Amino acid sequence: MSIMDQNGGSVIAMVGKDCVAIASDLRLGNEALAVSSNFQKIFPITDRIYLGLPGLATDVTTLKERFRFRVNMYTIKEEREIEPETFAHLVSSTLYEHRFGPYYVEPVMAGISKTPSGGFKPFIAATDLIGCLNYAKDFVVAGTASSKLYGVAEGLWEPDLEPEDLFETISQTIMNALDRDAYSGWGCIVHVLTKDKVITRTLKARMD
Amino acid sequence: MARRYDSRTTIFSPEGKLYQVEYAMEAISHAGTVLGLLAKDGVVLAAEKKVTGKLLDLSATKEGGYGGSGEKIFLLSSNVIGGLAGLTADANSLVNFARTAAQRHLLAYDEDIPVELLAQRLCDMKQGYTQFGGLRPFGVSLLYAGYDPHYQFQLYRSDPSGNYSGWKATCIGANNGTAQSLLKQEYKDDIEVKDAIGLALRTMSKTMDSTTLGSEKCRRSAVEFAVLTLDPVTGKPKAKIYRPAEIDLLLEKEGLAKKDEDTEMKAA
Amino acid sequence: METSFAITGKGYVIVAADTTASRSIIKMKTDEDKVKTLSPHLLMAYSGEPGDTVHFAEYVERNIRLYQIRNLYPLRPSAAAAWIRRALATSLRSRSPYSVNLLVGGYDTASHDPHLYWIDFLGTMTEVPFAAHGYGAYFALSLLDRYHDPEASLEDGLIALKRCIRQVEERLVVTPGKYKVKVVSKDGIQEIDL
Repeated sequence: MSIMDQNGGSVIAMVGKDCVAIASDLRLGNEALAVSSNFQKIFPITDRIYLGLPGLATDVTTLKERFRFRVNMYTIKEEREIEPETFAHLVSSTLYEHRFGPYYVEPVMAGISKTPSGGFKPFIAATDLIGCLNYAKDFVVAGTASSKLYGVAEGLWEPDLEPEDLFETISQTIMNALDRDAYSGWGCIVHVLTKDKVITRTLKARMD
Repeated sequence: MARRYDSRTTIFSPEGKLYQVEYAMEAISHAGTVLGLLAKDGVVLAAEKKVTGKLLDLSATKEGGYGGSGEKIFLLSSNVIGGLAGLTADANSLVNFARTAAQRHLLAYDEDIPVELLAQRLCDMKQGYTQFGGLRPFGVSLLYAGYDPHYQFQLYRSDPSGNYSGWKATCIGANNGTAQSLLKQEYKDDIEVKDAIGLALRTMSKTMDSTTLGSEKCRRSAVEFAVLTLDPVTGKPKAKIYRPAEIDLLLEKEGLAKKDEDTEMKAA
Repeated sequence: METSFAITGKGYVIVAADTTASRSIIKMKTDEDKVKTLSPHLLMAYSGEPGDTVHFAEYVERNIRLYQIRNLYPLRPSAAAAWIRRALATSLRSRSPYSVNLLVGGYDTASHDPHLYWIDFLGTMTEVPFAAHGYGAYFALSLLDRYHDPEASLEDGLIALKRCIRQVEERLVVTPGKYKVKVVSKDGIQEIDL
């Protein structure tokens, strides 16, 4: 039993056409015993960045609060909102600060970034527990069901999905992957981000 | 003889005064006026900024930054706005301290800092500078307009000595006596934000040097304005620091806007 | 074996913990109160490594009290729980971490509703409608999945609690014996004799 599997939980993010989606399960467990069916692991950072933190739940909470501190100070001093690329490096360097005694969390982030010409570009990234960044053009996964998520996402994802189609794809991916993982499940939440709005839906999932 | 007691902040004069602290307060009484009004459903802050000339580059502040924080009114936390009168340089460092203190509370307790606690944090620091030697006190008075679930909307005022107090309507900076007595006459306990906005601006226009107000440019005095209310959807406090264009709109509505034929404009 | 339960209902939280203080396999004491009153509307049940538990509970108790003395009003349950969690999370990465599991139940006098937090020694925290620690959790949680009602009266809440206690007595190899039961509601804290 790895410490990463202590509480269970999984997150996935996907790129669509001018949109991104991020989804997670809602379980919090204590090894095999389920404690809560409403443990959020995805947190809004700005209106255009969402961060998923699967891993050891104590570190999920600690990091969520630390990132909120850093981003609030950034926003209020810089007088603008943080860009996804900048935030990704904030996540990475925060984790690497603890290189030899890490936070047991593998962050996944999804955002819409502004281009210099005034347009918008989808952005997803993930890091390992010591902050090695992985940018992807299609999807990123993390958590106890990551291997299953890879399999289903590989089969279902296609480029340039519209927001509603991307929602369907990510929902099917996470629901089916979770059914094969004992440590994730107990409900799902999906966020689809476009340049001007966020669609949040909770899915009716198997509760066993 | 007096010289012996006013060069240091830490030494009492024979009359029992701390001269440096009193000088700091004197400095503030020449600074731009800042006034605050506590309403039933929100808090209002208005500030006079003294624009020093038409060569001053205001292009960065023209649009207003994040939430439009300006020269004298700052967002200190998502539930508190601060209005500052006094030395700008000292004020900036206090604003930074307040913002860090608010975020530290959020980190420790996962809740927005209670308004009075934030005022206390700043006053603890201000007081320190009246007691520990070699340094001068902060030349800044503050108004804190905030909301917390314990006491709902609140308005506090603090001065360089580290004293703070809660108010229904108050004023710091130049002409604060005039403003205070005007507010005393006009203030009603059940005032609502929409009326408080008018009262704040009217009081402001009476205490300022020029008779008409504007938000920007080469005018001798301009107004900054902010309101803290509750967001009707989320129920969370929402700070709005008005942008220059929005202030002009407000002033027009209240009939306090500048006329086209401005003498100074003509001169320029 | 140490067991603690907590159940929320309409305007209240019931917090219960067994009363045994044991060392290894020996019961040293059978009337230990392991439910601390942290403020007029806040209860905390603690269990875990003997020594750590009492020390940590008193550390929390005094810090919460200090906040109340300084600020004239006590911390809200959510803020108190967040502070306690942070203390455990910090302790986890120290030279000698506290091994203490907690159930923090309180009534929020600002928003007028009950709150219950499940916290373990790692600093894991989640808000739940009902919770349990120890071996009793394996019986109680599934029972409460079936019988818990967030709108239940205090009498019905206590019936649900008794169900849990009876089940643990019947099925657990080493039964804890007596329980201390406390309830927090808008009127403050009261102790209940089952």
